[in-house]
Amino acid sequence: MSSNKLSGAVVRTALAVLCAGPGLAPALAQPAAGPVTYELDPNHTFVTFEVMHFGTSTLRGRIGPVTGSVTVDRAARAGDLRLRIPVITVETGMDVLDARLKKPDLLATAEYPEAYFVATRFKFDEAGGVQEVRGEFTFRGLGDALSLYARSFACRRDATLKREVCGGDFSADFKRSHFGATFGEPFVSDNVHLVIQVEAIAP
Amino acid sequence: MKKLSFIAALGLFAAAAHAEPATYVLDPAHSFASWEMPHFGTSTNRGRFNKTTGTVTIDKAAKTGSLDVTVDTTSLDTGTAAFTKHISSEEMLNVALFPTSHLVANKFVFNGDKVAEIDGNLTLLGKTNPVVLKATNYNCYMSPMVKREVCGGDFEMMITRSQFGVSYGLNYGFPDTMKVIIQVEGVKQ
Repeated sequence: MSSNKLSGAVVRTALAVLCAGPGLAPALAQPAAGPVTYELDPNHTFVTFEVMHFGTSTLRGRIGPVTGSVTVDRAARAGDLRLRIPVITVETGMDVLDARLKKPDLLATAEYPEAYFVATRFKFDEAGGVQEVRGEFTFRGLGDALSLYARSFACRRDATLKREVCGGDFSADFKRSHFGATFGEPFVSDNVHLVIQVEAIAP
Repeated sequence: MKKLSFIAALGLFAAAAHAEPATYVLDPAHSFASWEMPHFGTSTNRGRFNKTTGTVTIDKAAKTGSLDVTVDTTSLDTGTAAFTKHISSEEMLNVALFPTSHLVANKFVFNGDKVAEIDGNLTLLGKTNPVVLKATNYNCYMSPMVKREVCGGDFEMMITRSQFGVSYGLNYGFPDTMKVIIQVEGVKQ
């Protein structure tokens, strides 16, 4: 259900991709020679964080759109990812919660409006799909190693854009206390689970 | 004095053991319904309704419960204005004509002292169908902020959107069944 107007051609392409199934998308069958730099699609690139509230329910907030670029060389099984994560855009659906999250003891958005993720260690599956991306996550000005794990990954030929689009759902976990964001512990969990939607468009 | 407080404590214990049905009012800061929809087999689109209100009644001793919850469908928020507008339009949720969705339930299934499942009826776009909410987390705690008991959890339900008349995109591969993820906390009254 894209915000784009869907033409018949998109419909046919989508069906072809869906029928081919994950991992069998035509674009993956023949790896492009050399590195390809993709541009992140702002309509489909968001980070949602999840923390446990009083051991009871999951508090979520969305950050985005995430901007940046990703270069993948499928033949060489290598990649380079650079993300700017605008934590200042955090929104939970409740203004008072957003304001609390932005304070210096949590997201500290006045001092650090963005977080960053820079990665050059890509793991691919046999079909050429991205499995894991390991790099450095910088949050509140502090850096630490972080792995993003693909829960799903696929490429398609988008008939509207006339370009290849690759993306999927990734997840990651980190301890917020490692970055000094400790307010509310232990009532609100130290562990932060990230749910990442990403789609990137080839040139 | 010691004896008195011991007796008072006993009294409290007895009251807890013979709990009357208690009513919990949903906390708007911790009660949200979100949904997930696969996007062309690539990534997952998500949306959230920002306004959910209602009450839940639970009798812990009898292991019964009921709820009456209203979701303001005009509060849909996907993070992308054009996407939110499209889903809110008459092609899908038609929020101008149907500004609320309503969930009522009278069957609570307990696992020990925790709510494990809620069977109810969901009304969306004026159509009512049975739904099952399965708990993935459930707990009660004494809130240090409001100084009252808070109960809640995370629930998931699968809905078949065509049953409610939302068939947009079915013919080009967007699934008919979709997952709804619910965070909920209620404050004891």
